Amino acid sequence: MRESVRRTVREERWQGLGVCDGIVLGRVLRIHNGARHIYRATLEEADVVREVRRWRAAVRLARRQLLKIKARAERVLGSEHAYIFDSHLLMLEDQKLLDDVESFIRLERANAEWAVKVVGDRILAVYAEIKDDYLRERGSDIEDVMQRILVALSGEGPRYRRLTEDAVIVSEDLLPSAVAELDFKYARAIATDAGGWTSHTAIIARGLGIPAVVGLRDLYRRARTGDPVIVDAISGEVILHPSKETIEHYDSLSADNRRAGLAVADNAPGPLRTEDGVDVVLRANLELPAEFEGVKRFGARGVGLYRSEFLMSQRGRMPSEEEQCQAYEEIARLAGEDGATIRLFDLGGDKAVGTFSDGERNPALGLRAIRFSLRHKDELRKQARAVLRAAAHGRLSIVLPMISDLTDVRQARRIINEERESLTRRGIPTGQVRMGAMIEVPAAVLIADKIAREVDFFSLGTNDLVQYLLAVDRGNDAVADWFRSLHPSVLASIKQTIEAARAASIPAVVCGEMASTPAYAAILVGLGATELSMTINAIPRVRRTVAGINAGEARKIAEECLECETADDVEELVRVRLGSRWPHLFPPKSLPAPKSQE
Amino acid sequence: MVECRVVVVNRLGLHARAASQVVRLANQFQSTIRLERADGSAVADAKSILSVLMLAAARGTELRAVAEGVDEREALDRLCELFAKGFGEEAEK
Repeated sequence: MRESVRRTVREERWQGLGVCDGIVLGRVLRIHNGARHIYRATLEEADVVREVRRWRAAVRLARRQLLKIKARAERVLGSEHAYIFDSHLLMLEDQKLLDDVESFIRLERANAEWAVKVVGDRILAVYAEIKDDYLRERGSDIEDVMQRILVALSGEGPRYRRLTEDAVIVSEDLLPSAVAELDFKYARAIATDAGGWTSHTAIIARGLGIPAVVGLRDLYRRARTGDPVIVDAISGEVILHPSKETIEHYDSLSADNRRAGLAVADNAPGPLRTEDGVDVVLRANLELPAEFEGVKRFGARGVGLYRSEFLMSQRGRMPSEEEQCQAYEEIARLAGEDGATIRLFDLGGDKAVGTFSDGERNPALGLRAIRFSLRHKDELRKQARAVLRAAAHGRLSIVLPMISDLTDVRQARRIINEERESLTRRGIPTGQVRMGAMIEVPAAVLIADKIAREVDFFSLGTNDLVQYLLAVDRGNDAVADWFRSLHPSVLASIKQTIEAARAASIPAVVCGEMASTPAYAAILVGLGATELSMTINAIPRVRRTVAGINAGEARKIAEECLECETADDVEELVRVRLGSRWPHLFPPKSLPAPKSQE
Repeated sequence: MVECRVVVVNRLGLHARAASQVVRLANQFQSTIRLERADGSAVADAKSILSVLMLAAARGTELRAVAEGVDEREALDRLCELFAKGFGEEAEK
């Protein structure tokens, strides 16, 4: 892997699913996400000294990286969370660790990677014995530091610096908790083996506004840190070791693409209306603190969906009432007059829940979201108190995730009301909080009219709705072809939900990933949606789209779509109708590529 | 050689943040500084974070701090003070 042994290699191509547009030419930076495979090599006596030097250089490199990460974490997560990197730094300075690894390299004539693994495993074994849960978990800090040194060992070399500046993150999958550690200032693109359109990787990429391709199966195994790579998220292609001709071809494309990408944020976003005068409101979906500053910059009207479970994945444990209350106040402040909607913890399912995880056989259909909260009532009460208290300082709403029966709504409402009364009795100020239901389970669509009578608003979670309606696991790239946001049944469900809300005179916000794709947004407006909530960086382009279309005509197109027999037919119709009616808004490349190719 | 007894009073015990403070402080002194579980079951070098963490000192653990060297007195005083303050953690309800 050293630069000197690099040999000429042939261009290799992978086809995946582009989930955030753009084309980038960069160098691979492999980000590991679990166990590494480390092999033992026995060194020649003469090479031992060099190996020790390599090890020391890796520690220095890891230390520099950590200092940067710590500074960034202080900015993004706040100093209260950055302290964790203090202990990581101390581990890198720990004389005992440094001595142990070094003497292992010398005595065993082992490669540095192997020495790190052996010494690290020894320490971890001691930790595994600790009886105190909290302290035992600190073993993960040690693992993290070991990983960092191993990464430093693999990426070591004079080119490292240049390499980080055009880094293409290549990983098996990116977990939200990994995000805090990455310096996305240098990340140009993301390419992952797993994942679909709505996987966390995809959502993170869109939040950061960098090109991403997912579902690449074995790219991670084949790519090496430092390899030149092209990520073409428009065609969903990733090219490793591109040939000179390929690079030239992409260089020209890439320049055009950069120009198009620069046309963001018009700075005075007044009310948004379609050509024929229908008001449409665009709100922000938030998860990472890094996205917060974008709320104003991209002209969002408040926060349509705050995924509160990030507070947990960020800490690796359930946040306290105080921590939650502070976070919600901050979000209410950001959202201002337009308010923010806090989605109660969507825990369980594919989201790691740490201490609560029981290893369900079918987590997507298991104890997650509102079911999880109703089963862990202390957590629900804690979250309710935090929102109610924060609402005394700003406009907040609560939305209940994964409602399938009115009983869920009634139980949650009762608990929230009890907490409000008890806060009031104790003289603690609370604010008005509206309560809505996420409509994302097919059962809820079918009884939307009944739910509408008992809640203040609907939030349509299209990601889960598509997953549950079509019975397609959205993180499984083997079935990515069956994940069809424009399936006629999806459109019919959205329409039915919006109509139920209208009949009950309550708002319905469409807040899945669908809303962030201009062509889909046009169809959503055609289906009657007037409030869309999306990842912030999509707001400028959706805004441009909505302002340029005619809602009446969009409705006709949507009605035609509802008559279609297959998802293919809908996609084709959308491509043809939107592309011919508003060619300036929907150039051929902007429309989702056809999925079924026969 | 000087020594004193300290008790871990902060809620989370001698975890990463608290241990970091101990190690940072210990490294300011020339003396060797040891932390021992009062029952003698474990000994740690206060200048090594991995060593201190391995004490697995949860809340309520009694430790003996031992310093030896030119600045042992001051080192020990500062260390005991740090423990007594509970590492500046706010008490949680």
